Amino acid sequence: MLNLRTLLHLITFCAILGMAWCGYMTFVSGRDYLETQTALEKSIDLRVLAASLEEAPYDERLLKRLQTERANMDRVERQTRFSDIIQSYTARDPKILKNRIQIFVHGEVEFRKKSAPQIERLRDTFIVFGGLAALIPLIGLFIVLLTVNAQVFKGIDRLSRRMMDFLSDRYSFQFSQPDENELGNLQRTFNSLAQQVINTMDELKHLDQAKSEFLSIASHELRTPMTSIKGSLSLLGNGIMGKIDDAPLQLIKIAEVETDRLIRLINDLLDLAKIEARRLPLANDWRIWEETLMTTTSGLVGFAHNAEVQIAFDPAPMVEVFMDRDRIQQVLTNLISNAIKFSPKGSTVRIVTGRSKSGHLLVNVQDQGPGISPDDQDLIFQKFRQGSNPENPVVKGTGLGLAIAKALVEEHGGDIGVESELGHGSTFWFTLPKWRNEQSEAA
Amino acid sequence: MDNSSTAAVHQFKESESLMKILLAEDDHNVAVIMQLCLEKIGGHQVVLAVDGAIAVEKASTDTFDLILLDGMMPKKNGLVVAKELRASGLTTPVIFLTAKSDEPAYQELGAGYIAKPFEPTQICAQIDTIMQQLKAQN
Repeated sequence: MLNLRTLLHLITFCAILGMAWCGYMTFVSGRDYLETQTALEKSIDLRVLAASLEEAPYDERLLKRLQTERANMDRVERQTRFSDIIQSYTARDPKILKNRIQIFVHGEVEFRKKSAPQIERLRDTFIVFGGLAALIPLIGLFIVLLTVNAQVFKGIDRLSRRMMDFLSDRYSFQFSQPDENELGNLQRTFNSLAQQVINTMDELKHLDQAKSEFLSIASHELRTPMTSIKGSLSLLGNGIMGKIDDAPLQLIKIAEVETDRLIRLINDLLDLAKIEARRLPLANDWRIWEETLMTTTSGLVGFAHNAEVQIAFDPAPMVEVFMDRDRIQQVLTNLISNAIKFSPKGSTVRIVTGRSKSGHLLVNVQDQGPGISPDDQDLIFQKFRQGSNPENPVVKGTGLGLAIAKALVEEHGGDIGVESELGHGSTFWFTLPKWRNEQSEAA
Repeated sequence: MDNSSTAAVHQFKESESLMKILLAEDDHNVAVIMQLCLEKIGGHQVVLAVDGAIAVEKASTDTFDLILLDGMMPKKNGLVVAKELRASGLTTPVIFLTAKSDEPAYQELGAGYIAKPFEPTQICAQIDTIMQQLKAQN
Protein backbone atom coordinates (compact mmCIF):
# COMPACT_ATOMS: atom_id res chain seq x y z
CA MET A 1 0.00 0.00 0.00
CA LEU A 2 1.23 3.48 -0.90
CA ASN A 3 2.03 5.68 2.00
CA LEU A 4 -0.12 8.77 2.42
CA ARG A 5 2.51 11.29 1.44
CA THR A 6 3.27 9.50 -1.86
CA LEU A 7 -0.42 9.13 -2.57
CA LEU A 8 -1.07 12.84 -2.08
CA HIS A 9 2.02 13.74 -4.16
CA LEU A 10 0.82 11.47 -6.98
CA ILE A 11 -2.66 12.98 -6.97
CA THR A 12 -1.21 16.51 -7.02
CA PHE A 13 1.26 15.64 -9.81
CA CYS A 14 -1.47 14.10 -11.99
CA ALA A 15 -3.73 17.10 -11.41
CA ILE A 16 -0.97 19.57 -12.38
CA LEU A 17 -0.04 17.51 -15.49
CA GLY A 18 -3.68 17.29 -16.57
CA MET A 19 -4.20 21.00 -15.96
CA ALA A 20 -1.06 21.90 -17.94
CA TRP A 21 -2.10 19.78 -20.95
CA CYS A 22 -5.70 21.03 -20.93
CA GLY A 23 -4.45 24.58 -20.54
CA TYR A 24 -2.13 24.16 -23.50
CA MET A 25 -4.87 22.66 -25.66
CA THR A 26 -7.25 25.47 -24.66
CA PHE A 27 -4.64 28.04 -25.56
CA VAL A 28 -3.83 26.48 -28.97
CA SER A 29 -7.47 25.95 -29.98
CA GLY A 30 -8.36 29.45 -28.83
CA ARG A 31 -5.52 30.99 -30.78
CA ASP A 32 -6.38 29.00 -33.95
CA TYR A 33 -10.05 29.89 -33.53
CA LEU A 34 -9.25 33.59 -33.32
CA GLU A 35 -6.88 33.45 -36.28
CA THR A 36 -9.39 31.60 -38.44
CA GLN A 37 -12.17 33.96 -37.43
CA THR A 38 -9.98 36.96 -38.32
CA ALA A 39 -9.07 35.35 -41.67
CA LEU A 40 -12.76 34.87 -42.50
CA GLU A 41 -13.58 38.47 -41.69
CA LYS A 42 -10.56 39.54 -43.77
CA SER A 43 -11.81 37.38 -46.65
CA ILE A 44 -15.07 39.35 -46.80
CA ASP A 45 -13.12 42.63 -46.78
CA LEU A 46 -10.86 41.34 -49.58
CA ARG A 47 -13.83 40.34 -51.69
CA VAL A 48 -15.25 43.86 -51.36
CA LEU A 49 -11.80 45.31 -52.15
CA ALA A 50 -11.38 43.04 -55.18
CA ALA A 51 -14.84 43.94 -56.50
CA SER A 52 -14.07 47.66 -56.20
CA LEU A 53 -10.96 47.30 -58.44
CA GLU A 54 -13.11 46.86 -61.59
CA GLU A 55 -14.18 50.47 -61.47
CA ALA A 56 -11.14 51.94 -59.67
CA PRO A 57 -8.54 54.02 -61.54
CA TYR A 58 -4.93 52.94 -61.27
CA ASP A 59 -3.36 54.15 -58.05
CA GLU A 60 0.12 53.39 -56.66
CA ARG A 61 -1.06 53.57 -53.06
CA LEU A 62 -3.85 51.09 -53.78
CA LEU A 63 -1.32 48.79 -55.43
CA LYS A 64 0.86 48.86 -52.32
CA ARG A 65 -2.14 48.02 -50.14
CA LEU A 66 -2.99 45.08 -52.43
CA GLN A 67 0.59 43.82 -52.09
CA THR A 68 0.47 44.09 -48.30
CA GLU A 69 -2.83 42.15 -48.20
CA ARG A 70 -1.33 39.43 -50.37
CA ALA A 71 1.66 39.06 -48.03
CA ASN A 72 -0.71 38.53 -45.06
CA MET A 73 -2.61 35.68 -46.79
CA ASP A 74 -2.10 32.21 -45.24
CA ARG A 75 -2.67 29.97 -48.21
CA VAL A 76 -0.63 29.69 -51.35
CA GLU A 77 -3.63 29.24 -53.76
CA ARG A 78 -5.28 32.36 -52.33
CA GLN A 79 -2.02 34.29 -52.69
CA THR A 80 -1.74 33.04 -56.31
CA ARG A 81 -5.27 34.13 -57.18
CA PHE A 82 -4.71 37.53 -55.53
CA SER A 83 -1.37 37.91 -57.38
CA ASP A 84 -3.27 37.37 -60.67
CA ILE A 85 -5.60 40.25 -59.72
CA ILE A 86 -2.64 42.53 -58.85
CA GLN A 87 -0.96 41.63 -62.14
CA SER A 88 -4.13 42.42 -64.18
CA TYR A 89 -4.60 45.64 -62.20
CA THR A 90 -1.02 46.67 -62.95
CA ALA A 91 -1.47 45.74 -66.66
CA ARG A 92 -4.71 47.79 -66.74
CA ASP A 93 -6.59 45.14 -68.66
CA PRO A 94 -10.21 45.47 -67.48
CA LYS A 95 -11.42 42.33 -69.20
CA ILE A 96 -8.85 40.01 -67.70
CA LEU A 97 -9.13 41.83 -64.36
CA LYS A 98 -12.86 41.24 -64.26
CA ASN A 99 -12.35 37.59 -65.05
CA ARG A 100 -9.69 37.19 -62.38
CA ILE A 101 -11.80 39.05 -59.76
CA GLN A 102 -14.59 36.56 -60.42
CA ILE A 103 -12.15 33.63 -59.95
CA PHE A 104 -10.83 35.20 -56.70
CA VAL A 105 -14.31 35.89 -55.32
CA HIS A 106 -15.34 32.35 -56.12
CA GLY A 107 -12.19 31.03 -54.43
CA GLU A 108 -12.86 33.10 -51.30
CA VAL A 109 -16.42 31.76 -51.10
CA GLU A 110 -14.97 28.23 -51.27
CA PHE A 111 -12.38 29.17 -48.62
CA ARG A 112 -15.07 30.39 -46.23
CA LYS A 113 -17.18 27.28 -46.86
CA LYS A 114 -14.20 25.05 -45.99
CA SER A 115 -13.31 27.13 -42.95
CA ALA A 116 -16.80 26.98 -41.36
CA PRO A 117 -16.53 23.36 -39.97
CA GLN A 118 -12.95 23.97 -38.91
CA ILE A 119 -13.95 26.99 -36.83
CA GLU A 120 -16.78 24.95 -35.28
CA ARG A 121 -14.27 22.23 -34.33
CA LEU A 122 -11.83 24.74 -32.88
CA ARG A 123 -14.58 26.33 -30.79
CA ASP A 124 -15.66 22.91 -29.47
CA THR A 125 -12.06 21.98 -28.66
CA PHE A 126 -11.62 25.30 -26.84
CA ILE A 127 -14.74 24.78 -24.75
CA VAL A 128 -13.96 21.14 -23.91
CA PHE A 129 -10.32 21.70 -22.88
CA GLY A 130 -11.13 24.98 -21.13
CA GLY A 131 -13.80 23.17 -19.15
CA LEU A 132 -11.42 20.32 -18.35
CA ALA A 133 -8.71 22.76 -17.22
CA ALA A 134 -11.22 24.25 -14.80
CA LEU A 135 -12.59 20.87 -13.67
CA ILE A 136 -9.27 19.10 -13.03
CA PRO A 137 -8.31 21.16 -9.93
CA LEU A 138 -11.82 20.68 -8.56
CA ILE A 139 -11.69 16.93 -9.17
CA GLY A 140 -8.14 16.79 -7.74
CA LEU A 141 -9.26 18.66 -4.65
CA PHE A 142 -12.22 16.32 -4.26
CA ILE A 143 -9.99 13.25 -4.52
CA VAL A 144 -7.53 14.75 -2.02
CA LEU A 145 -10.38 15.44 0.40
CA LEU A 146 -11.72 11.90 0.03
CA THR A 147 -8.25 10.46 0.53
CA VAL A 148 -7.51 12.65 3.55
CA ASN A 149 -10.88 11.77 5.03
CA ALA A 150 -10.55 8.04 4.45
CA GLN A 151 -6.90 7.67 5.26
CA VAL A 152 -6.10 10.48 7.70
CA PHE A 153 -9.18 11.52 9.65
CA LYS A 154 -10.66 8.03 9.94
CA GLY A 155 -7.19 6.71 10.81
CA ILE A 156 -6.78 9.36 13.50
CA ASP A 157 -10.26 8.55 14.86
CA ARG A 158 -9.36 4.87 14.96
CA LEU A 159 -6.09 5.60 16.74
CA SER A 160 -7.82 7.95 19.14
CA ARG A 161 -10.33 5.21 19.99
CA ARG A 162 -7.48 2.76 20.60
CA MET A 163 -5.85 5.25 22.95
CA MET A 164 -9.13 5.67 24.86
CA ASP A 165 -9.45 1.86 25.06
CA PHE A 166 -5.97 1.74 26.50
CA LEU A 167 -6.76 4.44 29.02
CA SER A 168 -9.96 2.78 30.19
CA ASP A 169 -8.69 -0.80 30.40
CA ARG A 170 -4.94 -1.17 30.15
CA TYR A 171 -4.67 -4.83 30.95
CA SER A 172 -7.10 -6.15 28.37
CA PHE A 173 -5.81 -3.80 25.66
CA GLN A 174 -5.57 -5.57 22.28
CA PHE A 175 -2.73 -4.43 20.06
CA SER A 176 -3.83 -4.18 16.42
CA GLN A 177 -1.72 -4.53 13.26
CA PRO A 178 -0.82 -1.01 12.07
CA ASP A 179 -1.17 0.01 8.39
CA GLU A 180 1.96 0.63 6.30
CA ASN A 181 1.67 4.42 6.22
CA GLU A 182 2.41 7.48 8.35
CA LEU A 183 -0.59 6.84 10.64
CA GLY A 184 0.55 3.25 10.94
CA ASN A 185 3.93 4.59 12.10
CA LEU A 186 2.13 6.73 14.66
CA GLN A 187 0.17 3.73 15.87
CA ARG A 188 3.40 1.69 16.00
CA THR A 189 4.93 4.38 18.23
CA PHE A 190 1.80 4.44 20.39
CA ASN A 191 1.86 0.62 20.65
CA SER A 192 5.48 0.80 21.86
CA LEU A 193 4.54 3.40 24.45
CA ALA A 194 1.53 1.37 25.56
CA GLN A 195 3.71 -1.74 25.85
CA GLN A 196 6.19 0.21 27.97
CA VAL A 197 3.40 1.46 30.21
CA ILE A 198 2.07 -2.09 30.64
CA ASN A 199 5.57 -3.39 31.39
CA THR A 200 6.16 -0.61 33.92
CA MET A 201 2.80 -1.30 35.53
CA ASP A 202 3.64 -5.01 35.77
CA GLU A 203 6.93 -4.09 37.44
CA LEU A 204 5.11 -1.77 39.84
CA LYS A 205 2.62 -4.53 40.56
CA HIS A 206 5.47 -6.89 41.44
CA LEU A 207 7.08 -4.19 43.60
CA ASP A 208 3.75 -3.61 45.27
CA GLN A 209 3.40 -7.34 45.95
CA ALA A 210 6.94 -7.39 47.32
CA LYS A 211 6.14 -4.46 49.61
CA SER A 212 2.96 -6.17 50.69
CA GLU A 213 4.84 -9.38 51.49
CA PHE A 214 7.45 -7.38 53.36
CA LEU A 215 4.76 -5.72 55.45
CA SER A 216 3.18 -9.06 56.22
CA ILE A 217 6.50 -10.66 57.22
CA ALA A 218 7.71 -7.60 59.13
CA SER A 219 4.41 -7.47 60.94
CA HIS A 220 4.71 -11.10 62.01
CA GLU A 221 8.41 -11.10 62.79
CA LEU A 222 8.23 -7.93 64.90
CA ARG A 223 5.09 -8.78 66.80
CA THR A 224 5.95 -12.38 67.67
CA PRO A 225 9.00 -11.56 69.90
CA MET A 226 7.08 -8.60 71.35
CA THR A 227 4.37 -11.08 72.39
CA SER A 228 6.92 -13.15 74.30
CA ILE A 229 8.56 -10.13 75.94
CA LYS A 230 5.30 -8.48 76.91
CA GLY A 231 3.85 -11.80 78.09
CA SER A 232 6.87 -12.64 80.23
CA LEU A 233 7.01 -9.18 81.82
CA SER A 234 3.29 -9.15 82.44
CA LEU A 235 3.28 -12.59 84.08
CA LEU A 236 6.23 -11.59 86.26
CA GLY A 237 4.97 -8.06 87.02
CA ASN A 238 1.52 -9.28 88.03
CA GLY A 239 2.98 -11.83 90.42
CA ILE A 240 1.51 -14.80 88.60
CA MET A 241 4.87 -16.60 88.67
CA GLY A 242 5.44 -15.75 92.35
CA LYS A 243 5.90 -12.69 94.53
CA ILE A 244 8.68 -10.30 93.51
CA ASP A 245 10.44 -7.70 95.65
CA ASP A 246 9.72 -4.03 95.07
CA ALA A 247 13.07 -3.08 93.50
CA PRO A 248 13.09 -5.76 90.75
CA LEU A 249 9.32 -5.22 90.35
CA GLN A 250 9.96 -1.55 89.58
CA LEU A 251 12.45 -2.57 86.88
CA ILE A 252 9.96 -5.03 85.44
CA LYS A 253 7.30 -2.28 85.34
CA ILE A 254 9.73 0.05 83.51
CA ALA A 255 10.45 -2.73 81.00
CA GLU A 256 6.69 -3.25 80.60
CA VAL A 257 6.01 0.44 79.94
CA GLU A 258 8.80 0.65 77.40
CA THR A 259 7.66 -2.59 75.74
CA ASP A 260 4.19 -1.09 75.38
CA ARG A 261 5.78 1.99 73.83
CA LEU A 262 7.74 -0.16 71.39
CA ILE A 263 4.57 -2.10 70.49
CA ARG A 264 2.74 1.17 69.82
CA LEU A 265 5.61 2.32 67.62
CA ILE A 266 5.59 -0.95 65.66
CA ASN A 267 1.80 -0.81 65.27
CA ASP A 268 1.94 2.83 64.16
CA LEU A 269 4.76 2.16 61.69
CA LEU A 270 2.97 -0.82 60.20
CA ASP A 271 -0.30 1.12 60.03
CA LEU A 272 1.37 4.02 58.27
CA ALA A 273 3.20 1.68 55.87
CA LYS A 274 -0.11 -0.04 55.08
CA ILE A 275 -1.90 3.26 54.47
CA GLU A 276 0.92 4.49 52.25
CA ALA A 277 0.97 1.18 50.36
CA ARG A 278 -2.83 1.40 50.06
CA ARG A 279 -3.04 -1.92 51.90
CA LEU A 280 -5.55 -0.67 54.40
CA PRO A 281 -8.90 -0.97 52.66
CA LEU A 282 -11.58 1.06 54.43
CA ALA A 283 -14.60 -0.89 55.66
CA ASN A 284 -16.95 2.05 55.03
CA ASP A 285 -20.55 1.98 56.18
CA TRP A 286 -23.17 4.42 57.52
CA ARG A 287 -22.46 4.81 61.23
CA ILE A 288 -24.21 6.87 63.88
CA TRP A 289 -21.79 9.65 64.81
CA GLU A 290 -22.81 10.00 68.44
CA GLU A 291 -22.21 6.30 69.10
CA THR A 292 -18.76 6.50 67.56
CA LEU A 293 -17.91 9.53 69.67
CA MET A 294 -19.19 7.94 72.89
CA THR A 295 -17.37 4.63 72.30
CA THR A 296 -14.12 6.47 71.63
CA THR A 297 -14.29 8.76 74.64
CA SER A 298 -15.39 6.01 77.01
CA GLY A 299 -12.11 4.25 76.14
CA LEU A 300 -10.21 7.38 77.15
CA VAL A 301 -11.94 8.11 80.44
CA GLY A 302 -9.27 6.32 82.49
CA PHE A 303 -6.50 8.12 80.67
CA ALA A 304 -8.19 11.49 81.22
CA HIS A 305 -8.80 10.66 84.89
CA ASN A 306 -5.12 9.87 85.45
CA ALA A 307 -4.19 13.15 83.79
CA GLU A 308 -6.85 14.99 85.86
CA VAL A 309 -8.43 16.36 82.72
CA GLN A 310 -12.19 16.48 81.94
CA ILE A 311 -13.69 15.48 78.59
CA ALA A 312 -16.77 17.51 77.57
CA PHE A 313 -19.09 17.40 74.55
CA ASP A 314 -21.28 19.84 72.88
CA PRO A 315 -24.36 17.79 71.97
CA ALA A 316 -23.41 15.77 68.89
CA PRO A 317 -25.74 16.26 65.88
CA MET A 318 -28.00 13.33 65.06
CA VAL A 319 -26.18 12.30 61.94
CA GLU A 320 -24.81 9.21 60.28
CA VAL A 321 -21.40 9.26 58.64
CA PHE A 322 -20.15 7.03 55.82
CA MET A 323 -16.84 5.86 57.25
CA ASP A 324 -14.67 3.04 58.54
CA ARG A 325 -15.67 3.33 62.19
CA ASP A 326 -12.55 1.67 63.62
CA ARG A 327 -10.28 3.97 61.62
CA ILE A 328 -12.15 7.15 62.53
CA GLN A 329 -12.12 6.02 66.13
CA GLN A 330 -8.35 5.72 65.74
CA VAL A 331 -8.23 9.34 64.50
CA LEU A 332 -10.48 10.56 67.35
CA THR A 333 -8.51 8.60 69.94
CA ASN A 334 -5.32 10.13 68.66
CA LEU A 335 -6.58 13.72 68.71
CA ILE A 336 -8.34 13.41 72.08
CA SER A 337 -5.44 11.60 73.79
CA ASN A 338 -3.04 14.24 72.40
CA ALA A 339 -5.30 16.97 73.77
CA ILE A 340 -5.37 15.26 77.19
CA LYS A 341 -1.61 14.77 77.11
CA PHE A 342 -0.95 18.47 76.53
CA SER A 343 -3.68 19.83 78.84
CA PRO A 344 -2.88 21.28 82.24
CA LYS A 345 -4.40 19.51 85.26
CA GLY A 346 -7.95 20.57 85.99
CA SER A 347 -8.63 21.76 82.46
CA THR A 348 -11.20 20.47 79.97
CA VAL A 349 -10.92 18.92 76.52
CA ARG A 350 -14.00 19.83 74.49
CA ILE A 351 -15.30 17.97 71.45
CA VAL A 352 -17.58 19.91 69.11
CA THR A 353 -19.19 18.47 65.98
CA GLY A 354 -20.61 20.84 63.38
CA ARG A 355 -20.70 21.62 59.71
CA SER A 356 -17.81 23.08 57.69
CA LYS A 357 -18.17 25.87 55.13
CA SER A 358 -18.02 23.30 52.33
CA GLY A 359 -20.87 21.33 53.95
CA HIS A 360 -18.71 18.51 55.35
CA LEU A 361 -19.03 17.16 58.88
CA LEU A 362 -16.53 19.14 60.98
CA VAL A 363 -15.10 17.70 64.20
CA ASN A 364 -13.17 19.99 66.60
CA VAL A 365 -11.08 18.79 69.54
CA GLN A 366 -10.25 21.81 71.71
CA ASP A 367 -7.73 21.85 74.55
CA GLN A 368 -6.45 24.48 76.95
CA GLY A 369 -2.83 23.44 76.55
CA PRO A 370 0.23 25.56 75.78
CA GLY A 371 -0.69 25.97 72.09
CA ILE A 372 1.49 25.33 69.05
CA SER A 373 3.69 27.91 67.37
CA PRO A 374 2.79 28.69 63.74
CA ASP A 375 6.10 27.15 62.58
CA ASP A 376 5.26 23.85 64.27
CA GLN A 377 1.67 23.67 63.05
CA ASP A 378 2.58 22.12 59.71
CA LEU A 379 5.45 20.02 61.05
CA ILE A 380 3.39 18.08 63.57
CA PHE A 381 1.48 16.25 60.81
CA GLN A 382 4.75 14.92 59.41
CA LYS A 383 6.22 11.58 60.44
CA PHE A 384 8.31 11.55 63.64
CA ARG A 385 7.74 15.27 64.30
CA GLN A 386 6.38 16.12 67.71
CA GLY A 387 5.50 19.20 69.67
CA SER A 388 7.96 19.62 72.53
CA ASN A 389 7.52 19.29 76.31
CA PRO A 390 4.01 18.08 76.95
CA GLU A 391 3.02 19.27 80.41
CA ASN A 392 1.34 16.00 81.17
CA PRO A 393 3.58 13.24 79.79
CA VAL A 394 1.43 10.35 80.91
CA VAL A 395 2.26 8.43 77.74
CA LYS A 396 5.15 9.22 75.46
CA GLY A 397 4.16 9.44 71.81
CA THR A 398 5.70 7.82 68.77
CA GLY A 399 5.57 10.92 66.59
CA LEU A 400 3.41 9.01 64.11
CA GLY A 401 -0.08 9.53 65.52
CA LEU A 402 -0.93 12.73 63.65
CA ALA A 403 0.67 11.47 60.42
CA ILE A 404 -1.57 8.38 60.64
CA ALA A 405 -4.62 10.50 61.52
CA LYS A 406 -3.92 12.73 58.50
CA ALA A 407 -3.53 9.73 56.18
CA LEU A 408 -6.74 8.12 57.48
CA VAL A 409 -8.80 11.31 57.21
CA GLU A 410 -7.51 11.90 53.69
CA GLU A 411 -8.37 8.28 52.79
CA HIS A 412 -11.95 9.22 53.74
CA GLY A 413 -11.78 12.25 51.44
CA GLY A 414 -11.59 14.72 54.33
CA ASP A 415 -9.13 17.33 55.59
CA ILE A 416 -7.32 17.71 58.88
CA GLY A 417 -5.63 20.68 60.51
CA VAL A 418 -5.00 22.71 63.62
CA GLU A 419 -5.73 26.23 64.79
CA SER A 420 -3.62 27.35 67.69
CA GLU A 421 -2.00 30.29 69.39
CA LEU A 422 0.81 30.01 71.90
CA GLY A 423 -0.58 30.21 75.40
CA HIS A 424 -4.20 29.96 74.24
CA GLY A 425 -4.70 26.25 73.60
CA SER A 426 -5.20 24.36 70.34
CA THR A 427 -8.13 23.18 68.27
CA PHE A 428 -7.44 20.16 66.10
CA TRP A 429 -10.13 19.65 63.48
CA PHE A 430 -10.97 17.20 60.71
CA THR A 431 -13.75 16.89 58.17
CA LEU A 432 -15.64 13.92 56.73
CA PRO A 433 -17.43 14.55 53.44
CA LYS A 434 -20.18 11.90 53.44
CA TRP A 435 -22.81 12.32 56.10
CA ARG A 436 -26.59 12.48 56.36
CA ASN A 437 -29.22 13.10 58.95
CA GLU A 438 -30.06 9.95 60.85
CA GLN A 439 -32.35 7.63 58.83
CA SER A 440 -32.91 10.18 56.11
CA GLU A 441 -31.60 10.93 52.67
CA ALA A 442 -27.94 11.85 52.14
CA ALA A 443 -27.01 15.42 53.03
CA MET B 1 2.94 -23.81 92.81
CA ASP B 2 3.51 -21.85 96.00
CA ASN B 3 0.80 -20.04 97.94
CA SER B 4 1.41 -16.61 96.57
CA SER B 5 1.15 -17.74 92.97
CA THR B 6 -1.99 -19.69 93.80
CA ALA B 7 -3.42 -16.50 95.22
CA ALA B 8 -2.46 -14.71 92.03
CA VAL B 9 -4.14 -17.39 89.95
CA HIS B 10 -7.36 -16.90 91.88
CA GLN B 11 -7.02 -13.17 91.62
CA PHE B 12 -6.72 -13.27 87.81
CA LYS B 13 -8.93 -16.23 87.13
CA GLU B 14 -11.74 -14.90 85.05
CA SER B 15 -13.18 -18.02 83.49
CA GLU B 16 -15.26 -20.39 85.58
CA SER B 17 -15.61 -23.04 82.87
CA LEU B 18 -12.37 -24.98 82.57
CA MET B 19 -11.60 -26.09 79.07
CA LYS B 20 -9.32 -28.49 77.26
CA ILE B 21 -7.56 -26.32 74.72
CA LEU B 22 -5.44 -27.28 71.70
CA LEU B 23 -2.79 -24.58 71.29
CA ALA B 24 -1.07 -24.59 67.86
CA GLU B 25 1.88 -22.22 68.02
CA ASP B 26 5.26 -22.71 66.38
CA ASP B 27 7.12 -20.03 68.36
CA HIS B 28 8.35 -21.83 71.48
CA ASN B 29 8.48 -18.70 73.64
CA VAL B 30 5.01 -17.54 72.74
CA ALA B 31 3.74 -21.09 73.30
CA VAL B 32 5.27 -21.19 76.79
CA ILE B 33 3.72 -17.84 77.71
CA MET B 34 0.33 -18.80 76.32
CA GLN B 35 0.42 -22.11 78.14
CA LEU B 36 1.32 -20.38 81.40
CA CYS B 37 -1.48 -17.84 80.97
CA LEU B 38 -4.09 -20.43 80.08
CA GLU B 39 -3.09 -22.87 82.80
CA LYS B 40 -2.20 -20.50 85.62
CA ILE B 41 -4.76 -17.75 85.03
CA GLY B 42 -7.58 -19.62 83.36
CA GLY B 43 -6.93 -22.99 84.96
CA HIS B 44 -7.46 -24.62 81.57
CA GLN B 45 -5.80 -27.78 80.29
CA VAL B 46 -3.51 -27.09 77.34
CA VAL B 47 -2.29 -29.48 74.63
CA LEU B 48 0.49 -28.03 72.47
CA ALA B 49 1.04 -28.51 68.74
CA VAL B 50 4.21 -27.05 67.21
CA ASP B 51 3.04 -26.88 63.60
CA GLY B 52 -0.09 -26.97 61.46
CA ALA B 53 0.13 -30.63 60.49
CA ILE B 54 0.45 -31.78 64.11
CA ALA B 55 -2.46 -29.50 65.01
CA VAL B 56 -4.70 -31.19 62.41
CA GLU B 57 -3.62 -34.62 63.63
CA LYS B 58 -4.26 -33.83 67.32
CA ALA B 59 -7.55 -32.11 66.62
CA SER B 60 -8.72 -35.15 64.63
CA THR B 61 -7.70 -37.73 67.25
CA ASP B 62 -8.66 -35.95 70.46
CA THR B 63 -11.61 -33.86 71.67
CA PHE B 64 -11.11 -30.22 72.61
CA ASP B 65 -13.34 -27.42 73.84
CA LEU B 66 -11.34 -24.80 71.95
CA ILE B 67 -8.60 -24.63 69.33
CA LEU B 68 -6.19 -21.69 69.42
CA LEU B 69 -4.33 -21.36 66.10
CA ASP B 70 -1.33 -19.24 65.30
CA GLY B 71 -1.80 -17.53 61.92
CA MET B 72 1.62 -18.32 60.49
CA MET B 73 3.01 -21.79 61.14
CA PRO B 74 5.27 -24.20 59.26
CA LYS B 75 3.77 -26.96 57.08
CA LYS B 76 0.19 -25.64 57.34
CA ASN B 77 -0.75 -22.12 58.34
CA GLY B 78 -3.61 -21.40 60.68
CA LEU B 79 -6.14 -20.72 57.92
CA VAL B 80 -5.36 -24.02 56.17
CA VAL B 81 -5.65 -25.94 59.44
CA ALA B 82 -8.99 -24.31 60.23
CA LYS B 83 -10.34 -24.99 56.74
CA GLU B 84 -9.27 -28.66 56.90
CA LEU B 85 -10.86 -29.11 60.31
CA ARG B 86 -14.11 -27.48 59.18
CA ALA B 87 -14.06 -29.59 55.99
CA SER B 88 -13.76 -32.73 58.11
CA GLY B 89 -16.91 -31.71 59.97
CA LEU B 90 -15.26 -30.60 63.22
CA THR B 91 -17.26 -27.80 64.87
CA THR B 92 -14.93 -27.03 67.80
CA PRO B 93 -14.64 -23.23 68.26
CA VAL B 94 -11.47 -21.77 66.70
CA ILE B 95 -9.67 -18.59 67.75
CA PHE B 96 -6.72 -17.30 65.76
CA LEU B 97 -3.70 -15.73 67.40
CA THR B 98 -2.43 -13.40 64.76
CA ALA B 99 0.27 -10.83 64.23
CA LYS B 100 -1.44 -9.75 61.02
CA SER B 101 -4.88 -8.43 60.44
CA ASP B 102 -6.72 -10.91 58.26
CA GLU B 103 -10.04 -10.46 60.04
CA PRO B 104 -12.29 -10.99 56.99
CA ALA B 105 -10.79 -14.44 56.30
CA TYR B 106 -11.28 -15.47 59.94
CA GLN B 107 -14.81 -14.17 60.04
CA GLU B 108 -15.68 -16.21 56.94
CA LEU B 109 -14.64 -19.34 58.82
CA GLY B 110 -16.79 -18.38 61.80
CA ALA B 111 -13.67 -18.00 63.95
CA GLY B 112 -12.53 -15.34 66.37
CA TYR B 113 -9.13 -13.77 66.61
CA ILE B 114 -6.81 -12.24 69.17
CA ALA B 115 -4.15 -9.85 67.90
CA LYS B 116 -0.55 -10.23 69.00
CA PRO B 117 1.00 -8.88 71.12
CA PHE B 118 -1.82 -9.61 73.57
CA GLU B 119 -2.14 -8.68 77.22
CA PRO B 120 -1.44 -11.99 79.05
CA THR B 121 -3.43 -11.14 82.15
CA GLN B 122 -6.50 -10.52 80.01
CA ILE B 123 -6.14 -13.35 77.53
CA CYS B 124 -8.54 -15.67 79.33
CA ALA B 125 -11.16 -12.94 79.61
CA GLN B 126 -10.70 -12.22 75.92
CA ILE B 127 -11.15 -15.88 75.08
CA ASP B 128 -14.35 -16.06 77.16
CA THR B 129 -15.76 -12.99 75.41
CA ILE B 130 -14.98 -14.38 71.96
CA MET B 131 -16.43 -17.79 72.89
CA GLN B 132 -19.67 -16.11 73.92
CA GLN B 133 -19.75 -14.17 70.65
CA LEU B 134 -19.13 -17.36 68.64
CA LYS B 135 -21.87 -19.16 70.56
CA ALA B 136 -24.24 -16.27 69.92
CA GLN B 137 -23.43 -16.40 66.19
CA ASN B 138 -24.27 -20.11 66.08
